[in-house]
Amino acid sequence: MPGLPVDLDACIERLYKRELLAEPVIEAICAKTKELLMRESNVVHILSPVTVVGDIHGQFYDLLEIFRIGGFCPDTNYLFLGDYVDRGLFSVETISLLVCLKLRYPNRVHLIRGNHESRGVTQSYGFYTECVRKYGSAGVWHHFTDMFDFLTLSVVINNDIFCVHGGLSPSIHSIDQIKIIDRFREIPHEGPMADLVWSDPDADRDEFALSPRGAGYTFGAQVVKKFLEINDFSHILRAHQLCQEGYQVLYEDRLSTVWSAPNYCYRCGNLASVLEVDDLGARFFNVFDQAPENAENRIDQQPTEKAQVEYFL
Amino acid sequence: MSSSSMPPPPPGGPLTAKDVQAVMPSAVDAGKSVTVAGFKVTTRKLPILNATEIEEMTEKLGIAPPEMIFGNNVVAIEKVGSGEETPWKIEFHALGALDLVDKTGSDMLKVAYSAAWQKQRERMHEGIKEVVKPFDWTYSTNYKGTLSPGAKQFEATQEQIPLDKLRRPDPILFFDDVMLYEDELADNGMSILSVKVRVMPARLLLLARFYMRLDDVVFRIRDTRVFVEFAEGTVIREYQEREDSYENVKKNFPPYREDVPAIMRDANQMTEYLPVRSTVTEKLVL
Repeated sequence: MPGLPVDLDACIERLYKRELLAEPVIEAICAKTKELLMRESNVVHILSPVTVVGDIHGQFYDLLEIFRIGGFCPDTNYLFLGDYVDRGLFSVETISLLVCLKLRYPNRVHLIRGNHESRGVTQSYGFYTECVRKYGSAGVWHHFTDMFDFLTLSVVINNDIFCVHGGLSPSIHSIDQIKIIDRFREIPHEGPMADLVWSDPDADRDEFALSPRGAGYTFGAQVVKKFLEINDFSHILRAHQLCQEGYQVLYEDRLSTVWSAPNYCYRCGNLASVLEVDDLGARFFNVFDQAPENAENRIDQQPTEKAQVEYFL
Repeated sequence: MSSSSMPPPPPGGPLTAKDVQAVMPSAVDAGKSVTVAGFKVTTRKLPILNATEIEEMTEKLGIAPPEMIFGNNVVAIEKVGSGEETPWKIEFHALGALDLVDKTGSDMLKVAYSAAWQKQRERMHEGIKEVVKPFDWTYSTNYKGTLSPGAKQFEATQEQIPLDKLRRPDPILFFDDVMLYEDELADNGMSILSVKVRVMPARLLLLARFYMRLDDVVFRIRDTRVFVEFAEGTVIREYQEREDSYENVKKNFPPYREDVPAIMRDANQMTEYLPVRSTVTEKLVL
């Protein structure tokens, strides 16, 4: 990569071994990634074959497991649907590796923004704390979260499959309306950008409905049908929601949820999947269980045998 | 005194094999249990519910369960060997706890930015008036456990759980920590219900702790403790609510602490920042 004062292959090599990169290296990599992402549209068009990955949430060993199962970069093309950080123990290593892979193979790796790629959310759910703990200051967290502002919001595969982190928005009927969003900012609480990373399907409904939380939407069967018709797509592919089976297909195969963090938070006992779209556009869920290293590197936060005995009161 | 036909062991006396029968994971329920002096404690930890199970639970409850729903997990305390047909039993499970969540939405909390969000929305999409069935989506519960049908009921008492006895470093024969449910409140905080239990030679303590943080709005802890003194057959249950506004709590955080986000994720640390609002203590003797 021209103008980058670091050896990306060496960085990737180190990250595969779960070694941290120095803060100045992270800073340079994030700066370069911003330049690259800035040129991407809010709707990036790509062609299959591609393997689509849902939420990872810092579960680094499970990311390695995905590469072992689905193939390493650049032999396999990857589309990641967001939520790389928070919750798991290795958010820094996870996002460092993904960003290096994106820089090294920009046309073979695509990263979409999830609701956790935000300053506000990462302060509450672990990434900030992890950065400070591993680097002694919040510098790395600033580099990464500034870079998050540049991540694209959606990807279309083969002009046929619409991919987004959360779901649809009542403000968006055509993908042209996504293209005009000013995305280079913190994720706002309201508006189409928030909806794309936030909303959830509700299979019992037809239209949009307000969440009981007082902010956010759910979208129903007719909304999905209309959106696909208007844009001449056949399928919506999203992440954002935990499912025990690792994936869920709704609305007569018009929408899939792909979830890629097995045994989420090291205690949910759920399966995970990646969705492989072959060169003809056919979809196949590759389901997998948690990586064996999770147990070796401690952690089963829902331990079945050796619970940490505690004199609680 | 105990109505048990089995004589209780002398308090603090040496344990015999008969007193302690630990059963490690059985294939049937992936659970484990211990029986000490006629009290059997069972815990079971299984994966979160699958789509079919979630549908069933949604139907039973009338509300959507939390994001992480450990619907097959359970912690139970049971009096055994008393010769009664239906032994006294108290259980803690997600279904029981969630059944007590307000399903009318009468006292609904809203996320901090709700007002701004609603205003913006009204401007843009006046057509969307339908709210997904309103309910207390913070999953706040005043769950005190589920008693088996026909079981002896608790009665109000002035007696307190004897903390001095629980502070003793008695050997812990059995310990477990069981999640019942957890939700991130769509990144607006967290809501979590888990149950811990520890069994010592002469007594046991169970703590079912509900912790909820709604960012920029409120902190809430609801604790149910069940204490059993084996020799006397006494069971004391204490239910305690702690709560304060986000604003008040934040004022009390020491300014030099850099790990405030980590503290706010830890219910145990948060107890010292939240004042007790109410306590109810009950007792029964088996």
